[in-house]
Amino acid sequence: MSDEEHHFESSDAGASKTYPQQAGNIRKGGHIVIKGRPCKVVEVSTSKTGKHGHAKCHFVAIDIFTSKKLEDIVPSSHNCDVPHVNRVDYQLIDISEDGFVSLLTDNGSTKDDLRLPTDEALLTQLKSGFEEGKDIVVSVMSAMGEEQMCALKEVSPK
Amino acid sequence: MEEDRVFSSVHSTVFKESESLEGKCEKIEGYDFNQGVNYPKLLRSMLTTGFQASNLGEAIDVVNQMLEWRLSDETTVPEDCNEEEKNQTYRESVKCKIFLGFTSNLVSSGVRDTIRYLVQHHMVDVIVTTTGGVEEDLIKCLAPTFKGDFSLPGAYLRSKGLNRIGNLLVPNDNYCKFEDWIIPIFDEMLKEQKEENVLWTPSKLLARLGKEINNESSYLYWAYKMNIPVFCPGLTDGSLGDMLYFHSFRTSGLVIDVVQDIRAMNGEAVHANPRKTGMIILGGGLPKHHICNANMMRNGADYAVFINTGQEFDGSDSGARPDEAVSWGKIRGSAKTVKVYCDATIAFPLLVAETFASKREQNREHKT
Repeated sequence: MSDEEHHFESSDAGASKTYPQQAGNIRKGGHIVIKGRPCKVVEVSTSKTGKHGHAKCHFVAIDIFTSKKLEDIVPSSHNCDVPHVNRVDYQLIDISEDGFVSLLTDNGSTKDDLRLPTDEALLTQLKSGFEEGKDIVVSVMSAMGEEQMCALKEVSPK
Repeated sequence: MEEDRVFSSVHSTVFKESESLEGKCEKIEGYDFNQGVNYPKLLRSMLTTGFQASNLGEAIDVVNQMLEWRLSDETTVPEDCNEEEKNQTYRESVKCKIFLGFTSNLVSSGVRDTIRYLVQHHMVDVIVTTTGGVEEDLIKCLAPTFKGDFSLPGAYLRSKGLNRIGNLLVPNDNYCKFEDWIIPIFDEMLKEQKEENVLWTPSKLLARLGKEINNESSYLYWAYKMNIPVFCPGLTDGSLGDMLYFHSFRTSGLVIDVVQDIRAMNGEAVHANPRKTGMIILGGGLPKHHICNANMMRNGADYAVFINTGQEFDGSDSGARPDEAVSWGKIRGSAKTVKVYCDATIAFPLLVAETFASKREQNREHKT
């Protein structure tokens, strides 16, 4: 479902998925869209105006879902797309056999369309915690129409 | 008696009889300004002035030989040549093929305009240069280069956004204009590569840029119009390369094939026959070697004029004399060669004045 290949036209960002920000204002730790992927910026370096033309920002960023390293160079006066990244916590109800989880939403209904995480450590922790009957709250990160479980907490029953 | 003998032996040591050079060598004679300030005569007097003036005079001679040679001058017609090559009228029409090479600093200088003249009138057949030699020509159409000074401090210039090339200054803004001009062209080229299966090479790219700049002050423009190939195998080493680098982040996939171009460049030399080939190379580095190497493929050029300030003591190719190229087969043993040890900004316009330009002026006078 998460598409590594991109046939990406730069004007395709949906109204609520991203917002524009000048490249020169994007800092380390912020977010940026590179090749259609939502990424977290791990490094920014700026080369001043010179023989290579306008001043440029060199971004090294990690795809927030696939953890792949992506790079981009953008003129610093250019606008970049910054993804809206949301984190929502849900209580874990069930793990189904076909790889999905069942979650309890705030308003009491269930959310069943989230896949198990691909990260080995997280997956193991989730499965063993659930099998032991612990109360688990999962954090789900969502951006640009994609979502993924990114963390979990074992909640001690009171 | 003893004294006489000693005296005559000392006398014959100091006043060793010399071989007469009369009739064998040119006499040294400079220009006489009592004749007035006559520039053509002044330039012609260089041949007998000595040192590099004489070398320049010889270079002028060699270039004029390049321009005057016709296949009909070769009295022995090889048995295996075809019918056309035996035809006298055809033989009188076959001229020497001239390779012109130059480094980028010369394009930053006013020598760019001399080069443009040669290309505009199709006086050279193949051009080889470095990336700077291309972009400086294009950038001058967007914004000018200025005269500065060798002694301007680097840190000060950087703070003002000025780039120094010797005693010339190029503002950063010029390169920004270049970027704004060229990136959309790369987008177009990438589109054509994907949709029309165009495989770009440095020379095809440069022809396209010459077409796009569409400015009569640019030699690249005239090279495009006159169908004169411009080879630049080191295309990535300059601002143009920076633009390709940045473009590849925004929209990747543009491919530039150097293999096709080396076929074309060496082909220019290999398939030159029955024409003779001549090389006029300003500066050293890549253009010098690339042209010499191509001519090696045809067992050497027939004429070579080098104008540069390089020295051979460090073994560099840039400083190597034509004779070193002869050892490689890049220049024929029978070739007419000269190296002028001089900054080309002085030597080249003067050389063109006494060769290409004066011949053209003579032809125009004959027609009127």
